[in-house]
Amino acid sequence: MTNEKHILATFDEALASLRDSVLLMSSLTERSLDRAITGLLKRDDDMCAIAIADDEEIDQLEKQVDKDGIDLLLRFQPVASDLRRVVSAMKLSSNLERMADQATNIARRARKLNQHPPLPETELIRPMYLHAMAMFKDAIDAYVRADVDLARSVVPRDEGLDELNRTTGRRLIERMAEDPSQLRGYLNLIFISRCLERVGDHATNMAEDAVYAVAAEDIRHQHLAASR
Amino acid sequence: MVNILEMPEIAHTVHEPAPIAETPPLGMIEIKQVDFAYGNHQVLHDVNLSIPPRAVTAFIGPSGCGKTTLLRCLNRMNDLIDGAHITRGSIRIEGVDINEPTVDVVDLRRRVGMVFQKSNPFPKSIYDNVAYGLRIAGVTKRTAIDEAVEKSLRSAALWDEVKDRLHVSGYGLSGGQQQRLCIARALAVEPEIVLMDEPCSALDPIATAKVEELIRQLKAQYTIVIVTHNMQQAGRCSDRTAFFYLGRLIEVDDTAKIFSNPSQRQTEEYITGRFG
Repeated sequence: MTNEKHILATFDEALASLRDSVLLMSSLTERSLDRAITGLLKRDDDMCAIAIADDEEIDQLEKQVDKDGIDLLLRFQPVASDLRRVVSAMKLSSNLERMADQATNIARRARKLNQHPPLPETELIRPMYLHAMAMFKDAIDAYVRADVDLARSVVPRDEGLDELNRTTGRRLIERMAEDPSQLRGYLNLIFISRCLERVGDHATNMAEDAVYAVAAEDIRHQHLAASR
Repeated sequence: MVNILEMPEIAHTVHEPAPIAETPPLGMIEIKQVDFAYGNHQVLHDVNLSIPPRAVTAFIGPSGCGKTTLLRCLNRMNDLIDGAHITRGSIRIEGVDINEPTVDVVDLRRRVGMVFQKSNPFPKSIYDNVAYGLRIAGVTKRTAIDEAVEKSLRSAALWDEVKDRLHVSGYGLSGGQQQRLCIARALAVEPEIVLMDEPCSALDPIATAKVEELIRQLKAQYTIVIVTHNMQQAGRCSDRTAFFYLGRLIEVDDTAKIFSNPSQRQTEEYITGRFG
């Protein structure tokens, strides 16, 4: 990707502002997920409340990114790499907002779990969280550093997270049968597992968007086509 | 039994049929290794470009890159400038080198029509503007001229706006209408190729949209080459885009490719406004 500045300084300023908004969203989303999982694993209701409250700011940032992106398209009518950057930023923000929603869902369910005695199976969530967050960080890193190889490496890792979700789900269903008195708790954990699986999907989307932004290549759905 | 085909008397007269000479498609332009100079000042360097028929090809590039010079080579308008000449290479239209001494340059300019940046209707009526070329070509029958005028004005999407005032001066039309009148005038003599040098740069957005829509319709029948400074126009109107810089062809490709993911860094930098 070219690094030359545009002749129109305002164009560079607008692109930089859009990028900064996306990076801010990314930081806030990461923090929100971290807070939600901390609220779950450490049984900290205050942390859960903060994670839920975080969502409002991230929602507003999504709206701002869309507004700024549309404004850029309107004012500067970008083409080629500039167009891809703007479109990718808008798509990234949509995925980040959905990730933040998952953080909120996790926090809400964690609060419910915290009202009951701790379940050892809660620890099943930790490896999923670590896997999902690693994908998230690499996807954002790939976008920021325009690293196509790193972005491509994120996509196949989603299958690993999906498998973790399946095995976690199976284990929790077994426990439901073994200990029906904790059914609600296990159900909440199943939903939390599912939330993290969705985080991985969004991270995959973001990595695919990063490849598109840098290399103008659409790598979406290839893993689905290959598996058919 | 003797194979008659192997008999010496017969064999030498039986031969493989001559291969059918491939006729270039109507309106096909081949530019090969063209250098061009104004006097001693070379402005085009080794330009190689195929312009497909029945499609719109856009020439883009910063001012002074040679795109208008190349455009004007295609109908030898540069002949009108002292000292301007192709110093190397050839330009072939439908296989014929247009700079051969045997080429009738008047007929060339009929076949390769041109529309200029500033519309230039003749100081005549709308009807006479369109009929002019026909009369110069020797058409005298009134009904033939009437039909040709109507056909050309319809082709230029102007008929409905002027059919009731054909004898009004062409100067009485709006800028956009004048430009479409000039297009009708070019179409009246049944060209194969239409060259357009920034045809919309002096027009308002509505008139521009009408001319662009006209270009879209015309390409079904004509080869169109358009020089434009408007990237968005090139993106909207053209099928192929050629980017020029300092007299050289840097890149040519499908328009969608040029404006989404050009191969050359210079092209990317120009179309994204990083230089020019």
